Amino acid sequence: MFGQQNLSTRRILLAWLLVTPVVLWRLLTSVYPFLRTFYISFFDNSPVRRTFDFVGLDNYMALTRDANVDATLTFTLFFTVTSVALQVVLGLAIAELLNQRFKMRNFARAVNLLPWAMAPIVIATAARWIFHQDYGLINDIIWRISGERPLWLVNFTTARFAVTITDVWKNTAFLAVIFLSGLQGIPLELYEAAKIDGADGARSYWYITLPLLMPLIISMIIFTAIFRVLTFEIVYALTNGGPGTATSLLSYLVYLEGFRVLNFGYASAIAMLLFFIVLIVGVLGYGFLRRAWERL
Amino acid sequence: MNIQLISKRRFQTTLFYLAVILFLIVVLLPIYYIFLTAFAPSGKLFTVPLTYVPRSLATARFQDIFGALPIARYMLNSTLLATFSTILALTVSLLAAYAIARLNFPGANMVMIGLLASSMLPGTATVIPLFQMFQTLKLMDTLHGLLILYGSALLPITTWVLVSFLRQVPVEIEDAAKVDGASFFQLLWRIVLPVIRPGVATMFLINFIIGWNEFFTPLIFARGAGVKVITMALSEAQVIGARSEFDVSWGNMSAVAILTTIPVFIITLIFQRQIVEGITSGVFK
Repeated sequence: MFGQQNLSTRRILLAWLLVTPVVLWRLLTSVYPFLRTFYISFFDNSPVRRTFDFVGLDNYMALTRDANVDATLTFTLFFTVTSVALQVVLGLAIAELLNQRFKMRNFARAVNLLPWAMAPIVIATAARWIFHQDYGLINDIIWRISGERPLWLVNFTTARFAVTITDVWKNTAFLAVIFLSGLQGIPLELYEAAKIDGADGARSYWYITLPLLMPLIISMIIFTAIFRVLTFEIVYALTNGGPGTATSLLSYLVYLEGFRVLNFGYASAIAMLLFFIVLIVGVLGYGFLRRAWERL
Repeated sequence: MNIQLISKRRFQTTLFYLAVILFLIVVLLPIYYIFLTAFAPSGKLFTVPLTYVPRSLATARFQDIFGALPIARYMLNSTLLATFSTILALTVSLLAAYAIARLNFPGANMVMIGLLASSMLPGTATVIPLFQMFQTLKLMDTLHGLLILYGSALLPITTWVLVSFLRQVPVEIEDAAKVDGASFFQLLWRIVLPVIRPGVATMFLINFIIGWNEFFTPLIFARGAGVKVITMALSEAQVIGARSEFDVSWGNMSAVAILTTIPVFIITLIFQRQIVEGITSGVFK
């Protein structure tokens, strides 16, 4: 009996020994710095002015008066909603396409992965060339069709769409892979039964495929939305947040405020706002997900 | 009687193939355009309308960028960081995953949820204190400092995926090995590792690609030429020989884009199946 007790204690000790490196690594490089960011957000902390003075809620009050933050939140909302909607719809369509039997299917599936594998910074930098007014790929095609050459990155609205299109081009592949795998998990008998009942393709998609995929779709919407809020590279390299602040995102603002202006205290307050938005998206999304599971 | 039905079928098939072709063009054309730009002979770069089938290709830009920037060093740094962060993360994640999946200890669930929650903390919400820590600890501009951050980012997902792989393989073989008196590390190395090798290999590939593509972390923590990585060369290549702020060398940028992309394309095309399995196992299990 004592032997048993010892064995169990030893097992628990061993288990904690084994998880310690991972836990410690994450605590030191993620959890602690995060808590420290929260702490710094109450200080006027600048390495240039060599300050570290407690200022209470001053940084947060400044957030509410900052026009850049306002513009950033507006674009964050536009970008997140538009990009997620496009990615989910296109992702479902591509998954459906890649799920059919056809000659080049394996090739098409491989091609689908290419944007996923490319570095975001490569795509963002190359996109500036692709959206170039005179010599870019996109304007060449538009010009051949309509004779016009839109100024993508100069105008407010078109710059916002340029960022969104670039993001959709890179990230839809990931959703398509997930949805394809979801489609493959739906038993074929369901479709055969629907066929006997006289349902055509569109109907069986609407009444069988979509409801069964719904929990997956919702969890992917949450996941994709969170990562849209966190986007950095596309804005950094494609538009620098411009024209003006039309395409500024919070991560980019933290970078500017923290590492260009070197205003650590205020940058930390923006970072906390970013975290708060991610938290809200996550919690709201989780609620939706639970309801979707219950309905299934 | 069925002429209508047949023509409807044919119409649908045509529509389907049009969709496939459209999909392929949308994905491949921009990549091809960057390729064209990188290899276009100078003087042939700015043409209206664009020439999609070039008469000749030139490699001069690659010579230019290798001459002006320490590209080989950057690529070596990218390779070292991606490889060793992957190996380190896989090693410690495997230990943790084994404990969580097999040892049934109080707190196992807490560790899993804690890891997931910590992966939701945005990098931008941790970067300022990390920057200060790195300055105090003299880790700025060092490869081992970068390795700590690269590895950290990989841990949560890697641990989750390895736990899910471990839960799918039966415990019986391990029990038999235990009865035979194998030590813990013998058990891990000889029995567990071979069984979940597909999972480890998959995570190796995906983590390598993530590490290779990293940009934000080196942007903040790698400022010296000795520790810079290939993704940072994109903006540097744009200004080689620039006469003004607005004089951007798109050709040089494209050449670096090609160099940055070729390794990940090779890995993705060869290991397509494993990568898809890795992506989906992180979501479904």
